[in-house]
Amino acid sequence: MRFDDRRKLFLLALALPAVVYIAVIALWPLAQGIAYSFFEYNLLRRGGTKTFVGLQNYVDLLTDKTGQRALINTFVFTIGAVVFQFVLGLGLALLLWRDSRFNRICLAFLLIPVTITPLVVGLIFRALLAVDYGYFGYYLAEWGITSPRGLLAGTTTALPTLIFVDIWEWTPLVALILLAGLKALPSDILEAAAADGATAWQRFRLVILPLLLPTVFLALVLRMMDAFRVFDSIFVTTGGGPADATNSLMVYGVKQGLQFFNIGYASAIANVSILCIALMAAGFTLLIRRADVKANER
Amino acid sequence: MIPVMWLVATAYKPPKDMFSSPPAFLFEPTLLNFRRVFEVFDVWQLLKSSLVISIGSAVLSLLLGVPAGYALARSRWRYAIGVAYLFLAVRTVPIIATLLPFYLMMRDIGLLGTWWAVILINTTLNCAFVTWMMFSYFRSLPKDMEEAALTDGCTLWGAFWRVALPTVTPGIIASALFCVMFSWNDFLVAMFLTNSDSKPLSVALLAAFGTKDITWGTLGALAHFSTVPIMLMALFLNRYFVQGLTKGVH
Repeated sequence: MRFDDRRKLFLLALALPAVVYIAVIALWPLAQGIAYSFFEYNLLRRGGTKTFVGLQNYVDLLTDKTGQRALINTFVFTIGAVVFQFVLGLGLALLLWRDSRFNRICLAFLLIPVTITPLVVGLIFRALLAVDYGYFGYYLAEWGITSPRGLLAGTTTALPTLIFVDIWEWTPLVALILLAGLKALPSDILEAAAADGATAWQRFRLVILPLLLPTVFLALVLRMMDAFRVFDSIFVTTGGGPADATNSLMVYGVKQGLQFFNIGYASAIANVSILCIALMAAGFTLLIRRADVKANER
Repeated sequence: MIPVMWLVATAYKPPKDMFSSPPAFLFEPTLLNFRRVFEVFDVWQLLKSSLVISIGSAVLSLLLGVPAGYALARSRWRYAIGVAYLFLAVRTVPIIATLLPFYLMMRDIGLLGTWWAVILINTTLNCAFVTWMMFSYFRSLPKDMEEAALTDGCTLWGAFWRVALPTVTPGIIASALFCVMFSWNDFLVAMFLTNSDSKPLSVALLAAFGTKDITWGTLGALAHFSTVPIMLMALFLNRYFVQGLTKGVH
């Protein structure tokens, strides 16, 4: 056998186990999920028989009040959380850019929220915001800043509160990613800009930001995809309530699928979120490409 | 930082101060809550489940993902990059989409309620992640050293195992770190695929919450076990952690 053929076979043998694994345990269920979404398929009703209903599940999701609400909430949550995380994260990253002992200690602290089990984060905030014994909740209610039932129980305040929790949890991650990008910037260009007498703002806007753009998009797409899949923190704090005010696509899907065993409808919910995530990812991939090309032209 | 301090403080708070209204800021620290945790929960069993699931999935993911990442990075096949992107896409799929059919699949082959079910499904996401990450590591590695080793009479396996692999150790450590963290922190999958014997720490935490005889103090103490190991790991492997964040998707 020729060497090239042997190499091909060898590489194939290395790749095959993972490809087969993903095909059987991820892609096959995924395909099944797509198929299920066209059926009325409930394990608890009529002995779990399947009836083909075409696009009915999707129509239901988009016309149903709860479904619409979940879709809107998910988008509001994603955009709200990611915008704040980006602004605050960029600020933090710029502050921590200079290498000093103090900054290194701050960095270690930044890791803490990122590594705490998300479930525990939800529990912590739930306790802190409790009106009768929580440190925040008690005084906020006592001083009349919030309604006596607390932030998480109000239909208008619950979602912003959860967005705030997400910002607390993930801003450090955005900061860490942007910081890694800042540290990788070519120092000669930055020095040249400083030597030319550019002000700090000019340097930031004209030199740093354009060069940092690929990292910025990377951080944004990462957070967007994760925020869109938000589940843990909502599930343990409000469970989607009050009155669907914080219901997200994932929470709704899990409820429909794994509590009511409404497999067809839940699959439709899952597929809609996959579609949204795929569209966002595709958009950002294009932006990253363009930014990469621009950065290389400089 | 306040939320973290609260978690720590609560765990050492005596039960009588737990629900005082207004909340008590000063209290005598106590280890009572930790003693209570061991009375109510089989902490060692829960830790063991969490460990088996996260280490098991990490090992399996590395075994599958590292060679695949290498093969895709070195392949001259036109669609190799496409396959690599497919792995990346698998990682971004919300788990609910695969969990339902996977649940039915596990029920049919009788693995429901075992560690295996959780390991298998966590490994899909983890393996996809490892493959993509190692793909980008190997791709940024010059081929010269392997070519030289091959002309010196090294086997193909030797070029992979003894020449290429040692140079990407940081990537492997970062991948392993993320796999362990991901499985350790998950509760959604484990909640539906395990039973009372095989449930990990995270599921126990969720189940304990809201039960009458379990106070926030006990919960806080139990959360220590769930949070501290990962935090320590990330702090000690700080460098790899940040590397993984930036390389994992780019």
